[in-house]
Amino acid sequence: MRVEYINPFVEAAFNILKEVLGTELTRGELYLKSTSQPVLGVTAIIGLTGDVEGRVLFDMDEKTALAIASAMNGEELKKLDELAKATITELANMITAQAVTKLSEIGFKFDITPPAIFTGEKMEVSDAAVEALIVPIEMPLGKVEINVAVREKN
Amino acid sequence: MKTKADFPSINERPPEGLKEDGTPYRVLVIDDSMFVKKQISQILTSEGFEIAGTASDGEEGFEKYKELYPNVDVVTMDITMPKMDGIKALEKILEFDKNAKIIMISALGKQDLVKKSLLLGAKNYIVKPLDRKKVLERVLMVLKKK
Repeated sequence: MRVEYINPFVEAAFNILKEVLGTELTRGELYLKSTSQPVLGVTAIIGLTGDVEGRVLFDMDEKTALAIASAMNGEELKKLDELAKATITELANMITAQAVTKLSEIGFKFDITPPAIFTGEKMEVSDAAVEALIVPIEMPLGKVEINVAVREKN
Repeated sequence: MKTKADFPSINERPPEGLKEDGTPYRVLVIDDSMFVKKQISQILTSEGFEIAGTASDGEEGFEKYKELYPNVDVVTMDITMPKMDGIKALEKILEFDKNAKIIMISALGKQDLVKKSLLLGAKNYIVKPLDRKKVLERVLMVLKKK
């Protein structure tokens, strides 16, 4: 997978997280996974289809998800209820929309699916025949991993 | 016991959400995200606006508009929604009430759809992420425009 696909997602995540949370962010080491990998517990997924196809995951543990949702709602959310999930979903939506806009500016056209959110323990994700690039983003509220697996359509 | 009245007012500015006669502007919020609905509602009610209704898709939004009409002053309309999207709902509402004041709420990257909705008769648009300043500015702009 080409790194140029993931940079717009990382940039967009930085912009949006900074704007909605007003927080400091640091980018962790980018790494590549081609086998199954664990996911952290609260995972928003958005599908991509067009010139490139695949999916992007926004992965975090439940504590981080609650902290982010609480900050975005301006009130403390104690459990991952419908509102908290809708908030994380909207966050994933905004980041992806901005990334897709950047990608379309460099010539890649594609659509995104409505986001879905998975929650649970001991989950793993496998992408058959597509490598996933993962960029961890560290914030005082916790860590969010941007996990992108796409391939060019033949 | 202290009540609010015991505190001096540090801000004499009247809430922006009130009409000249002191009654609130009434807003219909159409969005499939519970988070965005709540966010818009909180921002507007904090300035004295009244949320006359909310809807989670275009179809429900159009029905709500007809139900509320003429007691609705402005609509916020998400573009991407299930069943009936914001563009179609915009057309339907304008067909029913050509003076409807509708503000489109869009994610980034939907410039073509935003342009289309403005050509169709939407009065303004807001690109997400939303914040207090953006929402109030656009809503007031639409309401105060003669």
